[in-house]
Amino acid sequence: MNTWIRPYVKEHKGRMLLTVLLGVLGIGSSAMLLFLSGYLISRSALRPENIMIVYVPIVAVRAFSISQAVMRYLERLVGHDVILRVLEKMRTRLYGVLRPQAIFFQSRYKTGDLLSVLSEDIEHLQDFYLRTVFPSVLSLFIYGVFIGVLGLFDWVFAVLMALVLAVIVFFIPFISLKVTRRKFIALKKGRKKLYEQLTDAVFGLSDWIASGRVASFLTNYKNDEHDLLETEKKLKRWQHIRSGMIQFCIGIAVMIMISWTGNQVNAGQLEPTLIAAFTLMMLAITDALSPTSEAVERLPAYEDSLRRLTEIENAEIPAEARFKNVQDLRQDGGVAIELRNVSYRYPESSENVIHNLSLTVDAGKKIAVLGRSGTGKSTLLKLLTGALQPTTGNVLIAGEQANQNLLATSISILNQKSHLFNTTVENNIRIGRPEATDTEVASVVGQAQLTKLVASIPLGLQTPMEEMGHRFSGGERQRIAFARVLLQQTPIIIFDEPTIGLDPKTENDLLQTMFTASKEKTVIWVTHHLAGVEQMDEIIFLEDGNIALQGNHEELLATSSKYRALYEMDRGE
Amino acid sequence: MERKKGLPSYPGSRSLYVLLTIFIVIEASAIILQAIFLARSVTFLFQGSAVSAIVQELLLFMLFFVMRHVLSHVQQLLAERFAVRTTKALREQLTSAYFKLGPRFAQVNGTGRLVTLAIEGIDQIKTYLEITIPRMIRTFIIPAVLAIYIFTLDKTSSVILIATVPIIIIFMILLGMAAQKTADAQYKTYRVLSNHFIDTLKGLETLTYLGKSEEHEGKIASVSKRYRKATMKTLRIAFLSSFALDFFTSLSIAFVAVSLGFRLIEGAAMLLPALTILVLAPEYFLPIRQVGTDYHATLDGQIALEQVEAIIQEQEFTEKPVIQSAIEWGPTSKIVFHELTVNKDDENEPILNSLHFSWEGNGIIGIVGESGAGKSTFIDIIAGFLQPASGTIEVNEEQTTSLMRPDWTTQIAYIPQHPYIFPTSIKENIRFYEPTATEEEVKRVIEEVGLDSLISQLPNKLDEQIGEGGRPLSGGQEQRIAMARALLSKRPIIILDEPTAHLDIETEYKLKQSMLRLFEGKLVFLATHRIHWMKEMDHLIVLKNGHLVANGTHKELLNREHSYKELIRHNTGRGGAL
Repeated sequence: MNTWIRPYVKEHKGRMLLTVLLGVLGIGSSAMLLFLSGYLISRSALRPENIMIVYVPIVAVRAFSISQAVMRYLERLVGHDVILRVLEKMRTRLYGVLRPQAIFFQSRYKTGDLLSVLSEDIEHLQDFYLRTVFPSVLSLFIYGVFIGVLGLFDWVFAVLMALVLAVIVFFIPFISLKVTRRKFIALKKGRKKLYEQLTDAVFGLSDWIASGRVASFLTNYKNDEHDLLETEKKLKRWQHIRSGMIQFCIGIAVMIMISWTGNQVNAGQLEPTLIAAFTLMMLAITDALSPTSEAVERLPAYEDSLRRLTEIENAEIPAEARFKNVQDLRQDGGVAIELRNVSYRYPESSENVIHNLSLTVDAGKKIAVLGRSGTGKSTLLKLLTGALQPTTGNVLIAGEQANQNLLATSISILNQKSHLFNTTVENNIRIGRPEATDTEVASVVGQAQLTKLVASIPLGLQTPMEEMGHRFSGGERQRIAFARVLLQQTPIIIFDEPTIGLDPKTENDLLQTMFTASKEKTVIWVTHHLAGVEQMDEIIFLEDGNIALQGNHEELLATSSKYRALYEMDRGE
Repeated sequence: MERKKGLPSYPGSRSLYVLLTIFIVIEASAIILQAIFLARSVTFLFQGSAVSAIVQELLLFMLFFVMRHVLSHVQQLLAERFAVRTTKALREQLTSAYFKLGPRFAQVNGTGRLVTLAIEGIDQIKTYLEITIPRMIRTFIIPAVLAIYIFTLDKTSSVILIATVPIIIIFMILLGMAAQKTADAQYKTYRVLSNHFIDTLKGLETLTYLGKSEEHEGKIASVSKRYRKATMKTLRIAFLSSFALDFFTSLSIAFVAVSLGFRLIEGAAMLLPALTILVLAPEYFLPIRQVGTDYHATLDGQIALEQVEAIIQEQEFTEKPVIQSAIEWGPTSKIVFHELTVNKDDENEPILNSLHFSWEGNGIIGIVGESGAGKSTFIDIIAGFLQPASGTIEVNEEQTTSLMRPDWTTQIAYIPQHPYIFPTSIKENIRFYEPTATEEEVKRVIEEVGLDSLISQLPNKLDEQIGEGGRPLSGGQEQRIAMARALLSKRPIIILDEPTAHLDIETEYKLKQSMLRLFEGKLVFLATHRIHWMKEMDHLIVLKNGHLVANGTHKELLNREHSYKELIRHNTGRGGAL
């Protein structure tokens, strides 16, 4: 069994057993309700002189009718409570698993919604308990108890009944699992294909229309859908056959129950009043056993979720460890960042992404980093933040080997798309440093040029990010994220293309805000075009993992024809 | 959310309902007969018959028992067949509606939502049709038939059973209201709690960079705990309605049994009918209990049905332009936009306001303006993605209300900021408009757009898989694929929406050179913020708040138009003097 199931079953054994037990009591009550009803009217039909003879059954019938409902209600409550407890544990665990990998998500998984998928997987596993484990264990329990009780009367008959009912509890579920597994997989595949095709169609809508191939797409799509529907039909057909077989077994079981009681009565072994009682009870018992197949059949549905969870847990994380002795690397305070002959190679690759790069940034200096995609910009940032450790060479932040503990104390980062949490503006800003005073918050709000905006919305800083009726624009959202970063008061700040996707005017305004607010700080600014680079102390172009061009704006303009050409284009000259 | 109520009406639905009703009536009779023979077997044994004497009763019980289940499956099969047929037609209509409504529609409604609606939404409708319809009819017929039969056997029992139903309904309504009230009361906190986990996961990278991801682990546990407590609070009340259902049905059965017992003692009733009633009592409540269990499936299906029908209707109401003669663009052609207006749904101010523009022959036309000025809307109209609210377009001699017509769209190549890359090979992606193009032709365009160096590095060359799940491409490479597509198709018109702003400056520089070559001898519309494009344009259209405020060449506009100068100043991103 999987590690995403076993520990939770063990941990919540008690509550899970209680759920099943309540289920057994519920079904037991409804069986007893019918048993006693049958007994009651049979006994009454004998017209006893004294009504007190049937008094106990009368009270008991009512009691069981009530307890049946109460037990079922309690069973559902306890069952949901226990799976929510399991969910609690699983969520914490998944978070723990994902946490060290967080920085690598983007490069590792193309599909951004992997996270939603994983979170859904965990919720999906709730069904495993509610719709598969509890019902199957419950019906096993009922089966055992029922056969045991019959054994008290007549063990031969008990064995016979055990065999007949085994068809419902064991044989058909087993066959059903075998038969449906392949169909379920085919169904899933077919649905996935339909999804892909339709996503293709809708994302590539303009291309399909322009290509004049809409009709051929629709025909293809229809054919695939047809295949899927055929599989679905076969699956449904099996489900009809299956439940037909189960019903047939139930009919047989009822018949032999009647015959047995009849024979027992004739032989004087059983009171005649019990014939109706046993027969009616039989209906309640078989009702409880018949959902077993459906519960077991669902097993393949959990496999994908379990596989994904196990995979993500076993994913290798690029090593962060391997601290060299930090002490002897310390230097005096003038230098904020130093890279000494740094190379980095991803474990699975044979080529260096960063190749023998050296760079010194004095405290308070502002550096712009440019480069085409794939030249190592993002790897460089990961090295600076300590998310990656260089294969050779040293990355020093204020004299200390770069590591993730420096985040929030020495270095802070404003990303392309910082996540803003679904809470108030103030909480979002405070996440950076929860213990900050109100004055400090007000001050960073001012520095991020948010004061006017905050004053204009009714709830001010208490406005939730996702409030209906007010949506923050891209520029405003980045300013909130920037205020959050400023609140950390780190001496070094990294801007990772924070203005991408904004229109030029908004971009320009945001850049000015950023530069003004970080006047005293050391700044590393990754950017994709040249707006604002004149204000930098140094501009670096990366190429093939090393610095291809370096200097301030005037120097580069004077010495590099490439820079001149790019700059002219950027200005539109 | 809107939902579609009542029994839905589709081709074949009426005959299905009639057929189902007939089968359900027969099934109800089989249920009664099965109960009768079961009761007879038991009663005869009770009265002292030997088992061998009741074989006939037992076999008849079995016969009707099998029959009722067969009938119920037949109903299911009928409903399933109908559901498959109906949803297949619906899905077909829906998908072709997507194509007819165009990319602009997809953008507004969200691609993900539309795909989900066409797959999951339609499946929900299917479940709704195949489960809910038979059950809705059963709920009316089976209890009614059984109640009538029980009435003929014993009036009191029948009254007890019938009286239970309104009691159940009243309690269900009361409890439902109570549950709704508690749910409403804590809806906001509940939603925050339930989304907290996924929100945190999505923000994990940010938390890590803020140095706070470790601290947050404890928060997950505490929020999950609050979530559990809040959920249980709601469930305690929500489950009460099924408790009430259980409670009243089984209490009702108990009452029937007890009252029958009393009357048997008094001699006012006989065992056989009493037993028959007792067997039938749970059957009487079964359809009613089942209705409750599918409440959510029904609701989802109804909501999806409403949405699907709305989209299909929107498509039906969209006027298609009348094609008198096919448009063909050539070097001497002329296009005129007359008084184009496009309204925004929720605001009075139109996105495009009486736009008038005409152009003759080939050339590169730039569309510029601040964000929100209407650039993309105008591009959408030219590309045939959007129908203007009013105004006409004249191409050569042909007057038309919109360019959403195949003779136009097959002459344009559209290159957006992020071209869609199909999850297939490079070759197939490039041949998308021209599936019959030869490999030589593909290689030639690859060279022309500057993709040859990339492709020579790939293990599978032209057959390398790209797009979702394949080799990831950079933004510049995606643009080149789109250019290759356009080039191979030899389309006379190219439309581009902000094609280079998101690229790094070096890539942008190179790509621009390739693009300018591609533009030669074609009609090009290019919307952009990037001012370096302006000089390359043969003509510029300046939009502001939906109005065309100026047009002319870059030089002309610089000399005479203040608004253009202002725009250029903003777009240099420097804010300084020009």
